[in-house]
Amino acid sequence: MSSIASTCRLTARLANSHLQRQAARRGFRAAAVNNAAQNFTMPALSPTMTEGKIASWKVKEGDSFSAGDVLLEIETDKAQMDVEAQDDGVMFKIFEQDSANTVQVGKRIAVLAEPGDDLSSLEVPAEESSASGGQPARKDRPTPQVETAGGIDTTESSPSASEAPPSSKPNADAAAGGAADTTPATQEKGGKSAGRAQKQKYPLYPSVQHLLHEKGLSKEDADKIPATGPGGRLLKGDVLAYLGRIAKDYPAEQSKRLEKLGHLDLSNIQINVPKKVDTAKPAEAAKPAPPVDVEIALPISLTAVIATQKRVQDTLGINLPLSTFIARASELANEELPLSKNHKPTADDLFNSVLGLDKVGAKTSRGNYMPQIIGFPEAPVAARRAPARKADIIDLLSSKPAAPKKASRVLGAANAAAPHNVFSVTAPKGDERRAQTYLERMKLVLEAEPGRLVL
Amino acid sequence: MFKHLLPKATSRPLLRPASNTFRASPSTFYLVDRSQYRRGYATEAEEKDLVIIGGGVAGYVAAIKAGQAGLKVACIEKRGTLGGTCLNVGCIPSKSLLNNSHLYHQILHDTKNRGIDVEGVKLNLEQMMKAKDTSVAGLTKGVEFLFKKNNVEYIKGTGAFADEHTIAVNLIDGGETSVRGKNIIIATGSEATPFPGLNIDEKKVVTSTGAIAMTKVPKKMVVIGGGIIGLEMGSVWSRLGAEVTVVEFLGQIGGPGMDAEISKAIQKTLQKQGMKFKLNTKVMSGDDSGESVKIAVEAAKGGKEETLDADVVLVAIGRRPYTAGLGLENIGLETDNRGRLVIDQEYRTKLPHIRVIGDCTFGPMLAHKAEEEAVAAIEYITKNYGHVNYGAIPSVMYTHPEVAWVGQNEAELKEAGIKYKVGSFPFTANSRAKTNLDTEGMVKFLCDAETDRILGIHIMGPNAGEMIAEGTLALEYGASAEDVARTCHAHPTLAEAFKEAAMATYDKAVHY
Ligand SMILES: Cc1cc2nc3c(=O)[nH]c(=O)nc-3n(C[C@H](O)[C@H](O)[C@H](O)COP(=O)(O)OP(=O)(O)OC[C@H]3O[C@@H](n4cnc5c(N)ncnc54)[C@H](O)[C@@H]3O)c2cc1C
Repeated sequence: MSSIASTCRLTARLANSHLQRQAARRGFRAAAVNNAAQNFTMPALSPTMTEGKIASWKVKEGDSFSAGDVLLEIETDKAQMDVEAQDDGVMFKIFEQDSANTVQVGKRIAVLAEPGDDLSSLEVPAEESSASGGQPARKDRPTPQVETAGGIDTTESSPSASEAPPSSKPNADAAAGGAADTTPATQEKGGKSAGRAQKQKYPLYPSVQHLLHEKGLSKEDADKIPATGPGGRLLKGDVLAYLGRIAKDYPAEQSKRLEKLGHLDLSNIQINVPKKVDTAKPAEAAKPAPPVDVEIALPISLTAVIATQKRVQDTLGINLPLSTFIARASELANEELPLSKNHKPTADDLFNSVLGLDKVGAKTSRGNYMPQIIGFPEAPVAARRAPARKADIIDLLSSKPAAPKKASRVLGAANAAAPHNVFSVTAPKGDERRAQTYLERMKLVLEAEPGRLVL
Repeated sequence: MFKHLLPKATSRPLLRPASNTFRASPSTFYLVDRSQYRRGYATEAEEKDLVIIGGGVAGYVAAIKAGQAGLKVACIEKRGTLGGTCLNVGCIPSKSLLNNSHLYHQILHDTKNRGIDVEGVKLNLEQMMKAKDTSVAGLTKGVEFLFKKNNVEYIKGTGAFADEHTIAVNLIDGGETSVRGKNIIIATGSEATPFPGLNIDEKKVVTSTGAIAMTKVPKKMVVIGGGIIGLEMGSVWSRLGAEVTVVEFLGQIGGPGMDAEISKAIQKTLQKQGMKFKLNTKVMSGDDSGESVKIAVEAAKGGKEETLDADVVLVAIGRRPYTAGLGLENIGLETDNRGRLVIDQEYRTKLPHIRVIGDCTFGPMLAHKAEEEAVAAIEYITKNYGHVNYGAIPSVMYTHPEVAWVGQNEAELKEAGIKYKVGSFPFTANSRAKTNLDTEGMVKFLCDAETDRILGIHIMGPNAGEMIAEGTLALEYGASAEDVARTCHAHPTLAEAFKEAAMATYDKAVHY
């Protein structure tokens, strides 16, 4: 509703640059709602109605009303009808009092304000009745919904009435603005005050009630006091400021300060510049005095694997890449490796062991090794260059072999039979046995029964 | 789906640079085949709406909330039980020991004058630990049940980023799997900050984790760090008979948030209970090579050195974010100089589908803070809007009496140049505290001098941790001291002291 209402207002006010700015401001939804009063003109309650009499006003100047409240009764030559408010608002000024005079349709009879508008600083908009002739009133006001004896006059149920949800302005604002509800301060960038008067929908705080009572102010008065509390709630400080007992802007400033405390302080974040040492080294390596890495290598023949690969290709027509064999072998070989000499139970391990939730007692743990493979079928062992062969992942990746600068230990080189490859892993000092076990298992699995890996 | 069946030659190196050998190996093509011949895999790399790494308070709450919101969610936890630090080795076990050691202490020292003659009181530490373990087991199982109830897939293993959307998991029961998430939440928590030069063995040199699991009461215990965890654990062992000395670098105990006046008061009380304090004192070095541990300390501003001897040294100098092995470097996520993962106000990292909550990022390291963030993070994902009010997060220290506070303390208000009023009310003037013979402490309100709006509430007293809830609510609603004072509180309750302190702030207390 409210958005459509403001769009209408916008169109009706294009001529007036001052008002246009205000409309834009409200459309932007960022600023306080001051000075957004709108003209309320004699509605046409039927297509043929041209004039009517105001039988009585049901609201006084300064009264708040909610959507659906009856604002006034209008008499025409045919009937007497209630005019209901389409939206929440406040009666700002009444221009045509109850009288016997007939009023032309489209002539201004009152000025309405939005809920929460500060009436003391509100300007009365210029009357623009004659501008568009005919029925100008239909564009620049929330269209009243009219109830006649026979029900709603459908001809007058304007687009805004049928399309807009019956939500009040502050809520719509909050929904549209996301954080608006809880971050009044952030809305106020550049604004003077975070507070704005609004209808206090919750029970007033005891202190507020007490103060109002003491000063002879009514509940309705409370709705006119700029509220700086969370979610637009009216606080004791707001009333004190309204009464002039403390500085006018103080509550808003305070809210702004507290609002800031409500957020994580993410200013001045000093990004950690990773040090030269590989800080990301996994737990096992992050031991006091980082152990020197050792590369351990073992030549492993892939003859059996290639034979199996061929067999599968021939019998099943499936081309299993070498990488599959190696990955699966590695998976098996990583199981239950002897613990590293560097292994120290973590605090959690120990705690878990107290709770009996652990596996700390175990002498083995799962490894995480991935072999580096150098040399391929038809390539000489020593040749550490990239043999471009089948489009297999290993081939692709091995085209950039990392030149290990570490102490290399080649195990049982005597076993190397062509076509053979050197499988190597790098392990921290103290982990040699773990790495060796892994490699030996790889060898066993790949050389002895590679078929079992894929069957 | 099908693409996962093929080796991704470009991004999944089988041959990796040597330095990477130990990294959890994320490899999709690995995954694929294993299920055909190996046991116990979670799922194939199906895509979840949300994958959460870490099953601590932050992670499990997020998981349950996501499940309730209808998201397809998986939570990865490597500990073997859910609940993280809090349920397994933090809040819950420590509170179990605090409560039972308090009972023991009270029965030993505080029954005669109440007209209860008790004889033959003996400590059965083993049973006390069992009681603690039962509470822990019950609660962690409870979370597991909630996972089932809310359709959260629980993956037991260590997660690491393989790429921006894929988490490779090293399963506890062996094997690997991986999950993909449209959204990912990192909630890997924190660990105790070690003290340089002291080797933590969780026997002689312990963190809080060892301190809640000791098998005998040490004769002498030195606590390095007089923050909340140090004072709580120090209290436990002091009550059970240890001679506890707390060494604190700063001039006050309780950590930076605690109001100085309250801090002094609780220090006095703890001293009466038998704890010793060395404030403004620096630990220079430690030697744990012998039977006992020797700690060399020195006045912080330089000066005389002293050696403390202890059977057990508790290192409680704080906690630090834990992100080791998470593979942050694989996706280029940044931490700050204190190891906290860098986020924006909506908990997003620079990869906006990855959010971080709980101890491993900014803000106080508290379980309820982690929980609030979890709820907000899920709301950001599902509704685009969430909210945590960091200005109204209570802190509680569960010593006896308890200390609790919310909002700002006097020093902080002074620094911000805010004019404030103080109103306090002592429990000695509270009828319920009097009948309970438990009158140490006070309630203290700090309110704006102009608006009377509550800026901070500080309580030392029996059940302060429960009472602070009212203060937090008041702060959340922007209440003034008068609002609290005009709210009826039952008689006779400790909470009346809360009301009277509010009265004292904006007007005058009745009973003092
Ligand atoms: C002794 C002690 C007492 C405490 N008392 C209180 C108290 O009274 N009140 C309070 O509010 N707070 C207390 N705390 C703090 C509280 O425990 C933490 O703030 C809280 O646990 C943080 O929750 P979190 O989910 O962020 O992290 P955590 O609880 O630390 O959970 C993180 C989890 O992630 C898991 N994890 C880490 N990395 C990985 C990975 N790569 N893959 C899979 N899983 C991983 C860890 O195993 C852990 O279980 C206490 C802490 C301690 C140590």
